[in-house]
Amino acid sequence: MPSIEILTPKNLNEVLSILSNHDKVLKIIAGGTDVVTGLKQESNRFIDAEILIDINHIAEVKGIEQRNGKISIGAATTFTEIYKNQIASKELPILKKAVSTIGSLQIRNRATIAGNFVNNAPCADTVPALLIYNATIEIESINSKREISLQEFLQGPYKTQLKKDEIVTRINIPVPPKTFVGDFYKLGRRQAVAISRITLAVLMELKENNINEIRIASGAATPIGTRFPDLEKFAEGKVVNDNFLRSLASKIGDEIIKLTGLRWSSEYKLPVVQQMFYQMLNRMTKRIK
Amino acid sequence: MISLKFILNGKQVTVETEPSIRLLDLLRAKLNLTGTKEGCGVGECGACTVLMNGKAVNSCLILAAQIEGSEIVTIEGIANGNELHPIQKNFLKYGAVQCGFCSPAMVLSAYALLEENPNPTEEEIKDAIAGNLCRCTGYKQIIEAINESAKELTTR
Repeated sequence: MPSIEILTPKNLNEVLSILSNHDKVLKIIAGGTDVVTGLKQESNRFIDAEILIDINHIAEVKGIEQRNGKISIGAATTFTEIYKNQIASKELPILKKAVSTIGSLQIRNRATIAGNFVNNAPCADTVPALLIYNATIEIESINSKREISLQEFLQGPYKTQLKKDEIVTRINIPVPPKTFVGDFYKLGRRQAVAISRITLAVLMELKENNINEIRIASGAATPIGTRFPDLEKFAEGKVVNDNFLRSLASKIGDEIIKLTGLRWSSEYKLPVVQQMFYQMLNRMTKRIK
Repeated sequence: MISLKFILNGKQVTVETEPSIRLLDLLRAKLNLTGTKEGCGVGECGACTVLMNGKAVNSCLILAAQIEGSEIVTIEGIANGNELHPIQKNFLKYGAVQCGFCSPAMVLSAYALLEENPNPTEEEIKDAIAGNLCRCTGYKQIIEAINESAKELTTR
């Protein structure tokens, strides 16, 4: 392991003021499940790091609160904390399901929600769940504060909008009405401690037998976690029956090819995505009826 | 170098250390607690599991400076003097140990589980040890040993 200085500031202002110093290469560390493995494996994302800023003791970036119809999750909240939180469990069941598929208990006890997406790895399991919940993220620097949608934040594989002097402080999620049902699916090479190959998240509301609103997102099967606006528009207003669900499931394959092009793995991944998407839709619409 | 203060197996300790060495190396190289093992070194095998503030964590993914003020328990802190902990006894009784490399971590994962959930179902046991790889036993004996320990600890 390289020798690196580690700072443990006590509040957000201290963090922001450290980040405003551009003389050194600074990296933020929370759970360390990405940073420490990155340092050990000499990843070029961390190779030049001179100072690590440990944000585990910063109250402003911890914990889960409900305010103004939104659930606000601190950036450095661990997956175990989210999994055990009553508000998140009740109001955000798809996020909870996504969280439960991550790593192992040891990983979930340390790894944090913002840590899952600040590096914008395509396989981040919470991203599709956060996208269908229309999550926004708060970003601060010493002299700015902004809130943008997660989809805007994620620019490309391993690229985000985050500037060097900024930190993600909170993730805000509008609580969907009770009439929405959803589901999350992950395929990895084994059940536990697996990097996902495919993730899908869906949230929908039916009115009578019509799709009133549907939100669809994928991770791992696409270059970055993404929603499918064209597919969502195509589905909205349509009558739910088996033929329609099959055609919707088939179309998600076309949408993914549009984003990724044909890859060596497409022949395997696309039928799996289509079949799993169909099964999710089928289960969800049966649950509503 | 930093002067690091934390509680190790129930005792307050102060150690002079580089801040960015891994907790795993601090325990093994600095403190001679070699019950904590290094397997993969990237958080996948769980052989380096220790308890940090009561929770199972991979000590290969935590840097020394991050444990300031915490309570760390390693396998060396589980037995009561020469009297093995019931989980350790049941690992022996049920043949849950073969090569032994995963055992210290497996015992600690079981310990953390039973502290939090004294009556786990088999599925809950499997979930608690999903991050601990064992290439010898096939897990069956380990699950039996943890299940028996749960019964013993709740009826005492």
